[in-house]
Amino acid sequence: MANPSNRPIGKSGWGRTLGAAAVSIVYFFPVLYIILTAFKTRQDALAWPVKFIFTPTLENFVSVFYRTTVEGGAAEATGFGLYFFNSMFIGGTSVLLALIIGTAAAYGFSRFPLRGNETYLFMILTTRMMPPIIAIIPIFVLFRIFGLSGTYVGIIALYTAFNLPFSIWMVKSFFDDLDRDIEDAARMDGSSEFRLFRKICLPQVYAGLAATFVFAVILTWNEFVFALLLTGTQTRTVPVQIVRTIGGAIGVDWGLLSALETLFIIPVVLVTFALQNQLLRGVTFGTIRR
Amino acid sequence: MELTISGIAKRFGAVEALRGVTLAVQPGEFFAILGPSGAGKTTLLRIIAGIDKPDDGTVLIDRRDLSQIPVRSRNTAMVFQTFALYPHLSTFENLAYPLREARVPGDEIKRRVGEIAEMLRLTHTLARKPGTLSGGEQQRCAIGRALVRRPQLLLLDEPLTNLDAKLRHDTRAEFKRLHRELKTTTIVYATPDQLEALSMGARVGVLNHGKIVQVGTPSDLYEMPGDDFVASLVGDPPINLVPGTLRAGAGGPSIDMPFLGLDAAPWRKSLNGFPAGTRLKVGLRPQAIWPRGGSEKGPVFPARVFLTEPLGDVTILDIVVGGDTRLRMVLPQEQAYKIAVNDAIECSIDLEQVCLFTQDTGTAISRAGVEAAA
Ligand SMILES: Nc1ncnc2c1ncn2[C@@H]1O[C@H](COP(=O)(O)OP(=O)(O)OP(=O)(O)O)[C@@H](O)[C@H]1O
Ligand SMILES: [Mg+2]
Repeated sequence: MANPSNRPIGKSGWGRTLGAAAVSIVYFFPVLYIILTAFKTRQDALAWPVKFIFTPTLENFVSVFYRTTVEGGAAEATGFGLYFFNSMFIGGTSVLLALIIGTAAAYGFSRFPLRGNETYLFMILTTRMMPPIIAIIPIFVLFRIFGLSGTYVGIIALYTAFNLPFSIWMVKSFFDDLDRDIEDAARMDGSSEFRLFRKICLPQVYAGLAATFVFAVILTWNEFVFALLLTGTQTRTVPVQIVRTIGGAIGVDWGLLSALETLFIIPVVLVTFALQNQLLRGVTFGTIRR
Repeated sequence: MELTISGIAKRFGAVEALRGVTLAVQPGEFFAILGPSGAGKTTLLRIIAGIDKPDDGTVLIDRRDLSQIPVRSRNTAMVFQTFALYPHLSTFENLAYPLREARVPGDEIKRRVGEIAEMLRLTHTLARKPGTLSGGEQQRCAIGRALVRRPQLLLLDEPLTNLDAKLRHDTRAEFKRLHRELKTTTIVYATPDQLEALSMGARVGVLNHGKIVQVGTPSDLYEMPGDDFVASLVGDPPINLVPGTLRAGAGGPSIDMPFLGLDAAPWRKSLNGFPAGTRLKVGLRPQAIWPRGGSEKGPVFPARVFLTEPLGDVTILDIVVGGDTRLRMVLPQEQAYKIAVNDAIECSIDLEQVCLFTQDTGTAISRAGVEAAA
């Protein structure tokens, strides 16, 4: 990409840096506020004006795992560990499945177009055009009939299905953007169709796959409505648990809620961070070559 | 490897990219395909490579139909116009790829890649990915990947287009050396650059709008272009094409140009069938026009210098003759330095180097005793 000024790339002026910092803070402030609140006592959390200097406490994080739920009762395990595991397991598995199936489908759509290819692709996309909630009743009934309610298989299958259209479209666009001469070169070098996919095409879209993975993880990680209706006590995910924490006899416990959310965003932040470089290359695909 | 192409046609929707291409390339020959952008060079090479199928016609390799030969035993390699290096693999792995696909043992791969890298001066780049190589290195890598399999047929699609002038020059020499060293490898080299085609090709096929218009040695094409298209493609600076009219006279036919009458005696035989008044194109090579200097090989005419373009050793002069006809001529520097813009000079034409074409079809009219190359 052209560098319009004469400054070496990577060294912006102070003005720009400060501007960028200001915008970042506006975006990041809610997250920061939640993290700070997670370390506040109940009094500090409700204090007005807002306290930015306070003595941090871990009591909220303890309450995430053990707390009294009935007034006057003893502290008991909340099952958060299980729900956290559920979120990761269900989210991770369904996104991976969608990515694998989606990549295969995308390669097919891109390289071996069917008669009416565009129509199929459009139909795949239409499933995402309406709010998913519209399908809730039939899905709910289906789950009842097949005994999928409250099972891992059910919710993973559902999330996989929801992630598929997005995965297919994203990954197909990455395959479409590849230089076809490279494949012809590989064919002349003696590659079979499978080796072409495995050794030539797939490695070139790794960055795109990573980007697709992160987007799908974020969407799935935050999914609430279907999780609320279709998971059971054993398969409950964190968003459901967060909402269940909001109620209660003694009003909203902001500190506890913030602690939950702080823990909740850690995996997404880690995944995004780990794939940062790939992500940047993935989302800018086509504008920056190589 | 012998290559015989007959009647190849290929269309993309409304575009007729190839319209019946017929060619025979001898085993071990360096054959150049010369054609302007869009002529169909890449399309033709892709068909010879077996990547695309022609709509019509056949490609025979050593008299066997290409479509009957499995990809692995074709022994054909191609250097793509876009290089088409594998961006996710290092130079080493790019060079090794064809060998890996052919299941060559690991230590032999190492040895052969090492040799090729050495020969193409790529050794220092072996660990790096193509994106970090310079244009010249990428190009050599693409050539290396094609050579490492020791192909019997090597297809090169404008391999020098992305290089700077000096590197082009060096690499032209490199290709000729390579061809000598490889001995039996047949090379088909496509280029829009007449200098590349003429300097490297033992024979050159000129492609225009999907048709081969002439095949011949470089000197054939230069001295006896089959039509005005070939004439204007071959030679640098391009040939001057001046309109002329055929006149019958008592002393034989002559040609009227706006600034000069030419004795048409050398073409008399071929002009027999043409009535007086036939419109012609006269091809005057810039190298065939000289300032008057005592030993004229043709008629003399006055001119005014319009523009000078000094190129170091030679100078290109644009002159105006007979009112508004512009001609280009080239002179060695030692003759050109005295001539300035707007000077009135006298020039002469070397009649031996004049070519004649019909106005309507552009077909060459041959001189007596000389058959124009088909
Ligand atoms: N895949 C395609 N789809 C449609 N038209 C095509 C396709 N490939 C080539 N053409 C057309 O066929 C004609 C010949 O193209 P080709 O690429 O063979 O030209 P070329 O001689 O290689 O030109 P250049 O020197 O610019 O590379 C052009 O008019 C081009 O637009
Ligand atoms: Mg081309």
